Amino acid sequence: MKMKNIRFSRKQLCIPYALFLFCFVILPLAVIVYYAFTDGSGRFTLANLLSFFSNGNTIGTLCYSLVIAAAVTLVCLLIAYPVAYILARSGLKRGPVTLMLFIMPMWINFTLRLTALKEILTVLEGNLSLHPFLNTVIAMTYDFLPFMILPLYTTLLQLDESLLEAASDLGAGPAAVFFRVTLPLSMPGIISGITMTFLPAMTNYVILDMIYNSTYIMGSLIGSYFNIYDWNNGSMISLILFAVICIITLITGKGERNNAENRGAIL
Amino acid sequence: MRTEKKTEKIFRRQNHAPRFAKMVRAVIAGTIAFAVLPVPADFSGNAALIASAASGEESGQTEGGKSSGEKVTLRIANWEEYIDEGDWDEEEAIELEDEENTVILGENSMVEDFEEWYLGTYGIEVNVEYSTFGTNEDLYNQLTLGNDFDLVCPSEYMFMKLIAEDRLQPLSEEFFDEENEENYYIRGVSDYIRNIFDTNTINGEPWSRYAAGYMWGTTGIVYNPEEITKEEASHWAILADPKYRGQVTIKDNVRDSYFAALGILNEDELLDPEFLSSPDRLEQIAEVMNRTDEETVAAAEDILKQMKENAYSFESDSGKADMVTGKVLANYQWSGDAVYTLDQAEIDDYYLAYAVPEECTNIWFDGWVMLKDGIDGNAAKQQAAEAFINFMSRPDNVVRNMYYIGYTSVIAGGDSDIIYAYADWCYGAEEDAEDTFEYPVGFFFSGDDSDPDYVITAESDQADRQLFAQYPPRDVLERAVVMQYFDQENNQRINQMWVNVRCFDLATLSWQDWAKIGAGVVILLAAVLIFLKRDDIFRKR
Repeated sequence: MKMKNIRFSRKQLCIPYALFLFCFVILPLAVIVYYAFTDGSGRFTLANLLSFFSNGNTIGTLCYSLVIAAAVTLVCLLIAYPVAYILARSGLKRGPVTLMLFIMPMWINFTLRLTALKEILTVLEGNLSLHPFLNTVIAMTYDFLPFMILPLYTTLLQLDESLLEAASDLGAGPAAVFFRVTLPLSMPGIISGITMTFLPAMTNYVILDMIYNSTYIMGSLIGSYFNIYDWNNGSMISLILFAVICIITLITGKGERNNAENRGAIL
Repeated sequence: MRTEKKTEKIFRRQNHAPRFAKMVRAVIAGTIAFAVLPVPADFSGNAALIASAASGEESGQTEGGKSSGEKVTLRIANWEEYIDEGDWDEEEAIELEDEENTVILGENSMVEDFEEWYLGTYGIEVNVEYSTFGTNEDLYNQLTLGNDFDLVCPSEYMFMKLIAEDRLQPLSEEFFDEENEENYYIRGVSDYIRNIFDTNTINGEPWSRYAAGYMWGTTGIVYNPEEITKEEASHWAILADPKYRGQVTIKDNVRDSYFAALGILNEDELLDPEFLSSPDRLEQIAEVMNRTDEETVAAAEDILKQMKENAYSFESDSGKADMVTGKVLANYQWSGDAVYTLDQAEIDDYYLAYAVPEECTNIWFDGWVMLKDGIDGNAAKQQAAEAFINFMSRPDNVVRNMYYIGYTSVIAGGDSDIIYAYADWCYGAEEDAEDTFEYPVGFFFSGDDSDPDYVITAESDQADRQLFAQYPPRDVLERAVVMQYFDQENNQRINQMWVNVRCFDLATLSWQDWAKIGAGVVILLAAVLIFLKRDDIFRKR
């Protein structure tokens, strides 16, 4: 059978994507907002919001998640930046292979990796339950490190060599070259790395469960409410988490924009 | 010889070969279906033709039975790994020493056997759609989302919730007719269990109007007898004992943990000599252990926070492995899983024991209930559902399920002595065994603890091990109470308490911790500041 030649206009081509966005982004968000501001019988209420912020325990968990996420992100950044820098800039003959070695753990199922890590930590510490915070940071760092290395590696690889040479020619020492040229130019990589680790670190409670940290983070708190069919409180906490992430993204995004302007001025 | 039997039993539970074989079969069947079906589909999409081809195939299969034309579909949901899936090896056959020397061998899966039996007995073709769930909450959510099942097997608090929400179909009068030979459940259920199902009510209706028991057990402590004495393990307080910091695991669900906390909270009252000797001790324990007033919940919260500090982990499954590998010394456990843990450890010549706290224990059940939405007034469907419960309660099938799962059935056997013979087969000592003792199980089997027909001569260590866990003695059952389903308000209070326990409590931070956090924040701010002011710092002079 001969296919008839059909032409789509640009608008028509957009329809599936618009539908997708509506069904899987806008609509679910609207449902969450609806549940967050209603009670069990569907009446409007602010009680869910107030009960979260009037309970020292839930606020404690918000702080705890933020601290864990910040620690994990920081450790990831400190480990990943030198690695990505060496891989991308030092002209290693087998650069891509080495990169692959760092990324390869990602190809192994994470429950398997964590079970192995659990055994290693047990040998090192004797008893896992004595250092829940430390174990969580180690496990999450191990799990999220590739997500930090990859964007850093890509940005550093694309760095224009001539800019660095120009900086040295104009008399900047190695430290100055790094802090005034390399680091600012790699900011986009740093920021995407941060968003890719900070966010899951606040919610990925499977890791905590597996590493036997019995304290809730935001993700487990949401899960626990959903488990007892309390969709309203669960949705409210999802919304609060959403707001926290939005604020953090805005701050880092703003910093990036300022930075871009500065850089323009300097250049 | 006894150990040999044991190994066989353990082997079965680890043997995944049957499932693999089933998978291969399913793949082959699927491939054939795939190869066959597209052929009629090529005829310019004649759907009617496909339909007739498919139904023709089905009727071809049923020619063997006396099909009366009607066909019932029964949708069942049960726990994972909670029914015999068949495919036993020949040498796995259980040769019982009952009156008829019955040999039990699971050839096909229980579901297949049921379909065949139902067709043979009632002349009606039944098609069972069997699915599994992982937690009571998963099942409940599935029931909320849609009308998916006719017959399900949740734990007692979940079927109490379903009764309270008026979502269950009552069992028919015929189901309770003891004259009917096929009514294996009512003819075989243990009087002890039957009494509990008759006397426990929700909204004034007894459980037995809606629910038929499947498996049951107690809750207690699995412990390593070389490190922990039986006396220590026989009190709930061990779960919060600083002496065993990081050496005990606790159940990761609010009901079990709350029960343990109440056990610790009320220890003095429950062990008071006057209380112990009072004639209505069981009722009083039930009252104490089902308190949900604000004061009790607040006190339980403190104890649970203490337990959280003290515990190795809150677990729902990993505790068994951690116990077997020796990572922890004691493990809050359900009796069925306790038996499994003890069996597993025994493979490595590692001997664990099971204790039930002196204060009290929580007796739990998994039971079959029919959904009102699912049955929907269809008498044929209800008959099939009730027949399924009865088929699962037929003594030989009870043994098959118990052997496969390792839990204890609520069925004592009635006229048949097969189930007692199976208990004896599992735990009875060999004749040449030296260190043995008499273990009465009459309380469960005949309602009379001194019944000489129900005394197992077992090796002495079984007093603290699998036999004790599977068939608790009378003194344990005299302190075994049901944890009730709490109403909305009390439930919410307990759930909120649980959230509080599990959340991070800022008050637990010491000044050293605050100092560390402060230092971290200062360093972070300094780093950001240096980055922002880098132009000034690195400006070439």
